[in-house]
Amino acid sequence: MKLPSSIEVRRARPLLGTIVEITVRGNNSVHLEEAIDAAFTTVAHVHRLMSFHDPLSDVSWINCHAFYKSAQVHPLTWHVLKCAQEFSRESNGVFDITTARQLVKWNYLPPLEAPLDNGSWRDIVLEDACHVRFRRPVIIDLGGIAKGFAVDRAVEALKHNGVEAGIVNAGGDLRTFGSSPQLIHLRHPGHPTRVAGAVRLRERAMATSGIYFRRRKYSGRYVSPLLHGRTRQSAREQISVTVGAANCMTADALTKVVFALREEAAPLLARYSADAVLLEQDGDPSWMFHPTCDASHQA
Amino acid sequence: MTKSEFAFIALPISALVAPSTFAVQYLTVDQAQRAIFPGKSLTAAPVKLVPAQRKAIEQASGVRVLHDEQQVWRVSGGGWFIVDEVVGKHEFITYAVGLNANGAVKQIEVMDYRETYGGQIRDESWRAQFVGKTSQSPLKLDRDIKNVSGATLSCRHITDGVKRLLAFYEIALKH
Repeated sequence: MKLPSSIEVRRARPLLGTIVEITVRGNNSVHLEEAIDAAFTTVAHVHRLMSFHDPLSDVSWINCHAFYKSAQVHPLTWHVLKCAQEFSRESNGVFDITTARQLVKWNYLPPLEAPLDNGSWRDIVLEDACHVRFRRPVIIDLGGIAKGFAVDRAVEALKHNGVEAGIVNAGGDLRTFGSSPQLIHLRHPGHPTRVAGAVRLRERAMATSGIYFRRRKYSGRYVSPLLHGRTRQSAREQISVTVGAANCMTADALTKVVFALREEAAPLLARYSADAVLLEQDGDPSWMFHPTCDASHQA
Repeated sequence: MTKSEFAFIALPISALVAPSTFAVQYLTVDQAQRAIFPGKSLTAAPVKLVPAQRKAIEQASGVRVLHDEQQVWRVSGGGWFIVDEVVGKHEFITYAVGLNANGAVKQIEVMDYRETYGGQIRDESWRAQFVGKTSQSPLKLDRDIKNVSGATLSCRHITDGVKRLLAFYEIALKH
Protein backbone atom coordinates (compact mmCIF):
# COMPACT_ATOMS: atom_id res chain seq x y z
CA MET A 1 0.00 0.00 0.00
CA LYS A 2 1.18 3.46 -0.93
CA LEU A 3 1.93 5.90 1.87
CA PRO A 4 -0.33 8.93 1.90
CA SER A 5 1.29 12.01 0.43
CA SER A 6 2.35 14.36 3.13
CA ILE A 7 2.07 17.85 1.66
CA GLU A 8 -1.13 19.57 0.60
CA VAL A 9 -1.04 22.80 -1.40
CA ARG A 10 -4.22 24.80 -1.89
CA ARG A 11 -4.56 27.91 -4.02
CA ALA A 12 -7.45 30.04 -5.30
CA ARG A 13 -7.72 32.65 -8.02
CA PRO A 14 -10.65 34.65 -9.39
CA LEU A 15 -11.44 33.16 -12.80
CA LEU A 16 -14.48 32.10 -14.86
CA GLY A 17 -16.65 34.54 -12.93
CA THR A 18 -16.08 32.61 -9.73
CA ILE A 19 -13.27 31.62 -7.43
CA VAL A 20 -11.40 28.64 -8.81
CA GLU A 21 -9.68 26.56 -6.18
CA ILE A 22 -7.03 23.92 -6.77
CA THR A 23 -5.90 21.52 -4.06
CA VAL A 24 -3.11 19.01 -4.69
CA ARG A 25 -1.26 16.49 -2.61
CA GLY A 26 2.24 15.16 -3.06
CA ASN A 27 5.69 15.10 -1.61
CA ASN A 28 7.41 18.10 -3.16
CA SER A 29 5.89 21.51 -2.53
CA VAL A 30 7.88 23.32 -5.23
CA HIS A 31 6.75 20.78 -7.76
CA LEU A 32 3.14 21.01 -6.57
CA GLU A 33 3.17 24.80 -6.84
CA GLU A 34 4.54 24.65 -10.38
CA ALA A 35 1.79 22.20 -11.34
CA ILE A 36 -0.87 24.46 -9.82
CA ASP A 37 0.51 27.41 -11.80
CA ALA A 38 0.28 25.39 -15.00
CA ALA A 39 -3.29 24.36 -14.18
CA PHE A 40 -4.38 27.96 -13.49
CA THR A 41 -2.81 28.98 -16.78
CA THR A 42 -5.03 26.52 -18.66
CA VAL A 43 -8.12 27.74 -16.77
CA ALA A 44 -7.23 31.35 -17.61
CA HIS A 45 -6.89 30.33 -21.25
CA VAL A 46 -10.38 28.77 -21.29
CA HIS A 47 -11.68 31.91 -19.56
CA ARG A 48 -10.17 34.18 -22.23
CA LEU A 49 -11.61 32.09 -25.05
CA MET A 50 -15.10 31.43 -23.71
CA SER A 51 -16.13 34.36 -21.55
CA PHE A 52 -19.36 36.04 -22.61
CA HIS A 53 -18.24 39.20 -20.79
CA ASP A 54 -14.86 39.60 -22.47
CA PRO A 55 -15.25 41.43 -25.80
CA LEU A 56 -12.08 39.75 -27.07
CA SER A 57 -13.22 36.17 -26.43
CA ASP A 58 -14.14 33.65 -29.12
CA VAL A 59 -17.70 33.67 -27.79
CA SER A 60 -17.96 37.45 -28.29
CA TRP A 61 -16.35 37.08 -31.70
CA ILE A 62 -18.91 34.58 -32.99
CA ASN A 63 -21.81 36.39 -31.30
CA CYS A 64 -20.84 39.42 -33.38
CA HIS A 65 -19.74 37.82 -36.62
CA ALA A 66 -21.01 34.26 -37.10
CA PHE A 67 -24.39 35.21 -38.53
CA TYR A 68 -23.18 37.12 -41.55
CA LYS A 69 -20.40 34.72 -42.44
CA SER A 70 -18.38 31.87 -40.98
CA ALA A 71 -16.19 32.87 -38.05
CA GLN A 72 -13.12 30.96 -37.03
CA VAL A 73 -12.49 30.05 -33.39
CA HIS A 74 -9.75 28.37 -31.37
CA PRO A 75 -9.81 24.54 -31.53
CA LEU A 76 -10.71 24.39 -27.80
CA THR A 77 -13.74 26.64 -28.31
CA TRP A 78 -14.75 24.59 -31.31
CA HIS A 79 -14.46 21.41 -29.23
CA VAL A 80 -16.71 22.82 -26.49
CA LEU A 81 -19.23 23.99 -29.09
CA LYS A 82 -19.23 20.50 -30.58
CA CYS A 83 -19.85 18.96 -27.16
CA ALA A 84 -22.61 21.51 -26.46
CA GLN A 85 -24.29 20.54 -29.72
CA GLU A 86 -24.09 16.88 -28.75
CA PHE A 87 -25.73 17.57 -25.36
CA SER A 88 -28.46 19.52 -27.19
CA ARG A 89 -29.05 16.65 -29.58
CA GLU A 90 -29.04 14.01 -26.81
CA SER A 91 -31.39 16.06 -24.62
CA ASN A 92 -33.61 17.01 -27.55
CA GLY A 93 -32.94 20.69 -27.03
CA VAL A 94 -33.36 20.90 -23.25
CA PHE A 95 -29.70 21.88 -23.10
CA ASP A 96 -29.27 24.83 -25.43
CA ILE A 97 -26.48 27.44 -25.46
CA THR A 98 -28.65 29.91 -27.41
CA THR A 99 -30.71 30.56 -24.27
CA ALA A 100 -28.20 33.43 -23.86
CA ARG A 101 -30.89 35.56 -25.49
CA GLN A 102 -33.16 35.16 -22.43
CA LEU A 103 -30.23 35.58 -20.03
CA VAL A 104 -29.38 38.93 -21.61
CA LYS A 105 -33.02 40.00 -21.48
CA TRP A 106 -33.23 39.13 -17.77
CA ASN A 107 -29.91 40.88 -17.04
CA TYR A 108 -28.03 37.75 -16.04
CA LEU A 109 -25.64 38.54 -18.86
CA PRO A 110 -24.39 41.98 -19.87
CA PRO A 111 -26.38 43.82 -22.54
CA LEU A 112 -25.71 42.81 -26.09
CA GLU A 113 -27.72 43.46 -29.21
CA ALA A 114 -29.99 40.51 -28.57
CA PRO A 115 -31.80 39.10 -31.59
CA LEU A 116 -35.57 39.08 -31.65
CA ASP A 117 -35.59 35.89 -33.64
CA ASN A 118 -36.42 32.60 -31.96
CA GLY A 119 -33.35 30.67 -33.02
CA SER A 120 -32.05 27.57 -31.27
CA TRP A 121 -29.04 25.26 -31.14
CA ARG A 122 -30.16 23.84 -34.50
CA ASP A 123 -29.14 27.15 -36.10
CA ILE A 124 -25.51 26.68 -35.12
CA VAL A 125 -23.46 25.09 -37.88
CA LEU A 126 -20.02 23.75 -37.06
CA GLU A 127 -17.95 23.75 -40.21
CA ASP A 128 -14.51 22.44 -41.02
CA ALA A 129 -11.31 24.07 -39.81
CA CYS A 130 -12.91 25.40 -36.62
CA HIS A 131 -15.40 27.63 -38.39
CA VAL A 132 -18.79 28.45 -36.90
CA ARG A 133 -21.81 29.85 -38.69
CA PHE A 134 -25.28 30.80 -37.44
CA ARG A 135 -28.20 30.15 -39.77
CA ARG A 136 -30.28 32.66 -37.84
CA PRO A 137 -29.13 35.57 -35.68
CA VAL A 138 -28.66 33.71 -32.38
CA ILE A 139 -26.27 34.52 -29.56
CA ILE A 140 -24.60 31.89 -27.41
CA ASP A 141 -23.27 31.62 -23.89
CA LEU A 142 -21.05 28.73 -22.81
CA GLY A 143 -21.64 29.42 -19.11
CA GLY A 144 -23.36 26.06 -18.64
CA ILE A 145 -20.48 24.01 -19.90
CA ALA A 146 -17.19 25.95 -20.13
CA LYS A 147 -16.58 25.91 -16.38
CA GLY A 148 -16.76 22.11 -16.41
CA PHE A 149 -14.47 22.00 -19.41
CA ALA A 150 -11.96 24.28 -17.66
CA VAL A 151 -11.99 21.98 -14.62
CA ASP A 152 -11.24 18.98 -16.85
CA ARG A 153 -8.38 20.84 -18.54
CA ALA A 154 -6.95 21.84 -15.18
CA VAL A 155 -7.04 18.23 -13.96
CA GLU A 156 -5.28 17.13 -17.15
CA ALA A 157 -2.61 19.79 -16.61
CA LEU A 158 -2.06 18.65 -13.02
CA LYS A 159 -1.75 15.00 -14.06
CA HIS A 160 0.52 15.95 -16.94
CA ASN A 161 2.76 17.65 -14.39
CA GLY A 162 2.99 14.48 -12.34
CA VAL A 163 0.44 15.26 -9.61
CA GLU A 164 -1.27 12.11 -8.36
CA ALA A 165 -4.09 13.46 -6.22
CA GLY A 166 -6.14 16.61 -5.97
CA ILE A 167 -9.35 18.54 -6.52
CA VAL A 168 -10.20 21.37 -8.86
CA ASN A 169 -13.31 23.30 -7.79
CA ALA A 170 -14.69 26.10 -9.95
CA GLY A 171 -17.47 27.52 -7.83
CA GLY A 172 -19.05 24.15 -7.19
CA ASP A 173 -18.22 22.42 -10.47
CA LEU A 174 -15.43 20.13 -9.44
CA ARG A 175 -13.41 17.03 -10.13
CA THR A 176 -11.35 14.83 -7.85
CA PHE A 177 -8.52 12.54 -8.78
CA GLY A 178 -6.31 10.21 -6.80
CA SER A 179 -6.93 7.12 -4.74
CA SER A 180 -8.60 8.54 -1.64
CA PRO A 181 -12.23 9.71 -1.66
CA GLN A 182 -13.10 13.31 -0.83
CA LEU A 183 -16.10 14.59 1.05
CA ILE A 184 -17.95 17.33 -0.83
CA HIS A 185 -20.72 19.18 0.96
CA LEU A 186 -23.89 20.23 -0.80
CA ARG A 187 -25.64 23.49 -0.13
CA HIS A 188 -29.15 23.32 1.25
CA PRO A 189 -31.43 24.38 -1.65
CA GLY A 190 -33.88 26.21 0.60
CA HIS A 191 -31.19 27.70 2.88
CA PRO A 192 -28.09 28.21 0.73
CA THR A 193 -26.11 29.32 3.75
CA ARG A 194 -26.32 25.80 5.17
CA VAL A 195 -25.30 22.36 4.08
CA ALA A 196 -27.85 19.66 3.37
CA GLY A 197 -25.65 16.65 2.87
CA ALA A 198 -22.42 15.47 1.43
CA VAL A 199 -21.14 13.31 -1.38
CA ARG A 200 -18.15 11.06 -1.08
CA LEU A 201 -16.36 11.33 -4.37
CA ARG A 202 -13.37 9.53 -5.84
CA GLU A 203 -11.92 9.81 -9.35
CA ARG A 204 -15.04 11.56 -10.48
CA ALA A 205 -16.47 14.93 -11.40
CA MET A 206 -19.51 16.58 -9.90
CA ALA A 207 -21.58 19.67 -10.54
CA THR A 208 -24.53 21.19 -8.71
CA SER A 209 -27.14 23.56 -10.06
CA GLY A 210 -29.60 25.46 -7.95
CA ILE A 211 -31.19 28.85 -7.97
CA TYR A 212 -29.78 29.78 -4.55
CA PHE A 213 -29.18 33.52 -4.44
CA ARG A 214 -29.94 34.11 -8.09
CA ARG A 215 -33.73 34.45 -8.30
CA ARG A 216 -34.86 37.80 -9.71
CA LYS A 217 -38.01 39.60 -10.65
CA TYR A 218 -38.57 40.40 -14.29
CA SER A 219 -41.81 41.99 -15.48
CA GLY A 220 -43.56 41.09 -12.27
CA ARG A 221 -42.60 37.43 -12.14
CA TYR A 222 -39.64 35.53 -10.80
CA VAL A 223 -36.99 34.23 -13.15
CA SER A 224 -33.74 32.32 -12.68
CA PRO A 225 -30.75 31.65 -14.93
CA LEU A 226 -31.69 27.96 -15.21
CA LEU A 227 -33.67 27.56 -18.40
CA HIS A 228 -35.41 24.76 -20.21
CA GLY A 229 -33.93 25.09 -23.68
CA ARG A 230 -37.07 24.08 -25.55
CA THR A 231 -39.77 25.87 -23.57
CA ARG A 232 -37.46 28.76 -22.52
CA GLN A 233 -39.20 28.69 -19.15
CA SER A 234 -36.93 29.35 -16.20
CA ALA A 235 -36.91 27.09 -13.20
CA ARG A 236 -38.51 28.52 -10.09
CA GLU A 237 -38.45 25.69 -7.56
CA GLN A 238 -35.79 26.04 -4.92
CA ILE A 239 -34.40 22.58 -5.52
CA SER A 240 -30.86 21.61 -6.34
CA VAL A 241 -29.52 19.04 -8.74
CA THR A 242 -26.14 17.38 -8.31
CA VAL A 243 -24.72 15.22 -11.07
CA GLY A 244 -21.67 12.96 -10.88
CA ALA A 245 -19.91 11.97 -14.10
CA ALA A 246 -16.57 10.84 -15.43
CA ASN A 247 -15.73 14.38 -16.52
CA CYS A 248 -16.83 17.77 -15.26
CA MET A 249 -18.08 19.14 -18.59
CA THR A 250 -20.62 16.29 -18.75
CA ALA A 251 -21.64 16.79 -15.12
CA ASP A 252 -21.99 20.55 -15.70
CA ALA A 253 -24.20 20.16 -18.78
CA LEU A 254 -26.35 17.37 -17.32
CA THR A 255 -27.31 19.34 -14.19
CA LYS A 256 -29.23 21.73 -16.45
CA VAL A 257 -31.06 18.87 -18.11
CA VAL A 258 -31.98 17.14 -14.85
CA PHE A 259 -33.15 20.47 -13.44
CA ALA A 260 -35.62 20.79 -16.29
CA LEU A 261 -36.64 17.14 -16.68
CA ARG A 262 -36.21 15.66 -13.20
CA GLU A 263 -36.86 11.89 -13.28
CA GLU A 264 -37.39 11.94 -17.02
CA ALA A 265 -33.67 12.58 -17.41
CA ALA A 266 -32.89 9.00 -16.27
CA PRO A 267 -32.27 7.52 -19.75
CA LEU A 268 -29.90 10.37 -20.58
CA LEU A 269 -28.04 9.97 -17.28
CA ALA A 270 -27.73 6.25 -17.98
CA ARG A 271 -26.28 6.95 -21.42
CA TYR A 272 -23.55 9.09 -19.84
CA SER A 273 -23.08 6.74 -16.85
CA ALA A 274 -23.91 9.65 -14.61
CA ASP A 275 -25.29 9.78 -11.06
CA ALA A 276 -27.80 12.34 -9.87
CA VAL A 277 -29.18 13.57 -6.56
CA LEU A 278 -32.16 15.90 -6.45
CA LEU A 279 -32.63 17.83 -3.21
CA GLU A 280 -36.02 19.37 -2.47
CA GLN A 281 -36.49 22.77 -0.87
CA ASP A 282 -36.52 21.14 2.59
CA GLY A 283 -33.10 19.62 1.89
CA ASP A 284 -34.34 16.05 1.56
CA PRO A 285 -33.23 13.98 -1.40
CA SER A 286 -36.38 13.21 -3.39
CA TRP A 287 -34.71 11.36 -6.22
CA MET A 288 -31.41 9.61 -6.73
CA PHE A 289 -30.10 7.95 -9.82
CA HIS A 290 -27.12 5.66 -10.13
CA PRO A 291 -26.07 4.05 -13.38
CA THR A 292 -25.92 0.27 -13.35
CA CYS A 293 -22.58 -1.11 -12.28
CA ASP A 294 -21.77 -2.78 -15.57
CA ALA A 295 -22.12 0.41 -17.58
CA SER A 296 -18.78 1.56 -18.89
CA HIS A 297 -17.86 5.08 -17.95
CA GLN A 298 -17.84 7.40 -20.85
CA ALA A 299 -14.73 9.51 -20.92
CA MET B 1 -6.99 2.45 -12.36
CA THR B 2 -8.97 3.46 -9.32
CA LYS B 3 -12.66 2.80 -9.59
CA SER B 4 -14.71 5.95 -9.44
CA GLU B 5 -17.18 6.50 -6.66
CA PHE B 6 -20.18 8.74 -5.93
CA ALA B 7 -22.05 8.23 -2.69
CA PHE B 8 -24.61 10.60 -1.23
CA ILE B 9 -24.57 11.00 2.54
CA ALA B 10 -27.58 12.64 4.14
CA LEU B 11 -26.79 14.52 7.29
CA PRO B 12 -28.50 13.71 10.57
CA ILE B 13 -31.46 15.98 11.27
CA SER B 14 -29.59 17.91 13.94
CA ALA B 15 -26.87 18.78 11.44
CA LEU B 16 -29.31 20.25 8.96
CA VAL B 17 -29.66 23.41 10.97
CA ALA B 18 -25.93 23.92 11.14
CA PRO B 19 -24.52 26.82 9.17
CA SER B 20 -21.99 26.06 6.50
CA THR B 21 -19.14 28.07 7.82
CA PHE B 22 -16.41 27.81 5.30
CA ALA B 23 -13.02 29.35 5.87
CA VAL B 24 -9.71 28.74 4.17
CA GLN B 25 -6.35 30.38 4.46
CA TYR B 26 -4.55 29.84 1.19
CA LEU B 27 -1.51 32.03 1.64
CA THR B 28 0.15 34.21 4.26
CA VAL B 29 1.48 37.61 3.13
CA ASP B 30 4.95 36.15 2.91
CA GLN B 31 3.81 33.15 0.87
CA ALA B 32 1.75 35.33 -1.46
CA GLN B 33 4.76 37.55 -2.09
CA ARG B 34 6.87 34.54 -3.01
CA ALA B 35 4.07 33.09 -5.15
CA ILE B 36 3.67 36.26 -7.22
CA PHE B 37 7.25 37.59 -7.18
CA PRO B 38 9.52 34.58 -6.69
CA GLY B 39 13.12 35.50 -5.94
CA LYS B 40 12.39 39.21 -5.61
CA SER B 41 12.93 41.30 -2.50
CA LEU B 42 10.02 43.41 -1.35
CA THR B 43 10.04 46.55 0.75
CA ALA B 44 7.00 47.66 2.71
CA ALA B 45 5.67 51.00 1.44
CA PRO B 46 2.22 51.48 3.01
CA VAL B 47 0.13 54.31 1.64
CA LYS B 48 -2.25 56.53 3.56
CA LEU B 49 -4.71 58.21 1.26
CA VAL B 50 -5.73 61.83 1.68
CA PRO B 51 -9.43 62.61 1.09
CA ALA B 52 -8.78 64.07 -2.37
CA GLN B 53 -7.00 60.89 -3.49
CA ARG B 54 -9.76 58.76 -2.08
CA LYS B 55 -12.35 60.71 -4.01
CA ALA B 56 -10.30 60.55 -7.21
CA ILE B 57 -9.97 56.74 -6.90
CA GLU B 58 -13.71 56.39 -6.36
CA GLN B 59 -14.45 58.54 -9.39
CA ALA B 60 -11.97 56.76 -11.64
CA SER B 61 -13.01 53.22 -10.64
CA GLY B 62 -16.66 53.62 -9.70
CA VAL B 63 -15.90 51.56 -6.58
CA ARG B 64 -16.10 52.82 -2.99
CA VAL B 65 -12.89 53.12 -1.01
CA LEU B 66 -13.49 51.78 2.48
CA HIS B 67 -10.01 52.13 3.96
CA ASP B 68 -7.58 55.03 3.89
CA GLU B 69 -4.64 52.74 4.48
CA GLN B 70 -3.42 50.41 1.77
CA GLN B 71 -0.82 47.69 2.39
CA VAL B 72 1.74 48.08 -0.38
CA TRP B 73 5.20 46.64 -1.04
CA ARG B 74 7.71 47.87 -3.61
CA VAL B 75 9.31 45.07 -5.61
CA SER B 76 13.03 45.11 -6.40
CA GLY B 77 13.54 45.74 -10.09
CA GLY B 78 10.08 47.28 -10.52
CA GLY B 79 6.54 46.33 -9.67
CA TRP B 80 4.16 46.46 -6.72
CA PHE B 81 2.59 43.96 -4.37
CA ILE B 82 -0.70 45.01 -2.76
CA VAL B 83 -2.79 43.24 -0.13
CA ASP B 84 -6.46 44.14 -0.12
CA GLU B 85 -9.73 42.87 1.28
CA VAL B 86 -13.29 42.85 0.02
CA VAL B 87 -16.50 42.17 1.85
CA GLY B 88 -19.60 40.77 0.22
CA LYS B 89 -22.98 39.93 1.65
CA HIS B 90 -21.78 36.48 2.67
CA GLU B 91 -18.06 36.46 2.13
CA PHE B 92 -14.93 38.12 3.37
CA ILE B 93 -11.91 37.80 1.10
CA THR B 94 -8.31 38.90 1.52
CA TYR B 95 -6.31 38.78 -1.67
CA ALA B 96 -3.01 39.92 -3.13
CA VAL B 97 -2.40 41.63 -6.43
CA GLY B 98 0.98 41.82 -8.12
CA LEU B 99 1.48 44.71 -10.54
CA ASN B 100 4.25 44.81 -13.13
CA ALA B 101 6.48 47.89 -13.36
CA ASN B 102 4.08 49.32 -15.97
CA GLY B 103 1.08 48.91 -13.67
CA ALA B 104 -0.45 45.92 -15.45
CA VAL B 105 -1.85 43.09 -13.32
CA LYS B 106 0.70 40.29 -13.11
CA GLN B 107 -1.16 37.88 -10.86
CA ILE B 108 -4.00 37.72 -8.34
CA GLU B 109 -3.98 35.25 -5.45
CA VAL B 110 -6.73 34.72 -2.91
CA MET B 111 -5.10 34.67 0.55
CA ASP B 112 -8.06 34.19 2.87
CA TYR B 113 -11.61 33.21 2.08
CA ARG B 114 -14.36 33.16 4.64
CA GLU B 115 -18.06 32.70 4.19
CA THR B 116 -19.69 34.20 7.23
CA TYR B 117 -23.40 33.81 7.61
CA GLY B 118 -25.85 35.19 10.07
CA GLY B 119 -27.19 33.07 12.87
CA GLN B 120 -24.09 31.02 13.39
CA ILE B 121 -24.21 28.68 16.28
CA ARG B 122 -20.96 28.69 18.15
CA ASP B 123 -21.99 26.51 21.04
CA GLU B 124 -19.53 23.62 21.21
CA SER B 125 -21.86 21.38 23.19
CA TRP B 126 -24.59 21.87 20.64
CA ARG B 127 -22.20 20.99 17.89
CA ALA B 128 -20.79 18.01 19.74
CA GLN B 129 -24.12 16.24 19.60
CA PHE B 130 -23.84 15.37 15.96
CA VAL B 131 -20.12 14.93 15.62
CA GLY B 132 -19.49 11.36 14.65
CA LYS B 133 -23.14 10.56 14.15
CA THR B 134 -23.10 10.15 10.41
CA SER B 135 -22.89 6.58 9.34
CA GLN B 136 -20.20 6.93 6.73
CA SER B 137 -17.86 9.50 8.12
CA PRO B 138 -17.69 11.67 11.19
CA LEU B 139 -18.53 15.22 10.40
CA LYS B 140 -16.95 18.10 12.18
CA LEU B 141 -18.75 21.01 10.69
CA ASP B 142 -16.51 23.99 10.22
CA ARG B 143 -13.32 22.04 10.00
CA ASP B 144 -14.54 19.28 7.75
CA ILE B 145 -16.23 21.47 5.20
CA LYS B 146 -13.40 21.69 2.75
CA ASN B 147 -15.32 21.58 -0.48
CA VAL B 148 -18.79 22.86 -1.24
CA SER B 149 -20.74 22.12 -4.38
CA GLY B 150 -23.53 24.42 -5.38
CA ALA B 151 -21.54 27.49 -4.49
CA THR B 152 -22.71 30.37 -6.57
CA LEU B 153 -20.72 33.15 -4.98
CA SER B 154 -19.20 35.16 -7.75
CA CYS B 155 -15.82 36.83 -7.82
CA ARG B 156 -17.48 40.17 -8.57
CA HIS B 157 -16.17 41.77 -5.38
CA ILE B 158 -12.59 40.84 -6.25
CA THR B 159 -13.09 42.15 -9.79
CA ASP B 160 -14.33 45.45 -8.34
CA GLY B 161 -11.47 45.48 -5.86
CA VAL B 162 -8.89 45.07 -8.61
CA LYS B 163 -10.53 47.89 -10.55
CA ARG B 164 -10.19 50.07 -7.45
CA LEU B 165 -6.53 49.05 -6.99
CA LEU B 166 -5.68 49.94 -10.58
CA ALA B 167 -7.11 53.42 -9.97
CA PHE B 168 -5.16 53.51 -6.70
CA TYR B 169 -1.99 52.72 -8.66
CA GLU B 170 -2.62 55.56 -11.11
CA ILE B 171 -3.37 58.08 -8.39
CA ALA B 172 -1.18 57.09 -5.46
CA LEU B 173 1.70 54.90 -6.69
CA LYS B 174 2.65 55.94 -10.23
CA HIS B 175 4.76 59.06 -9.91
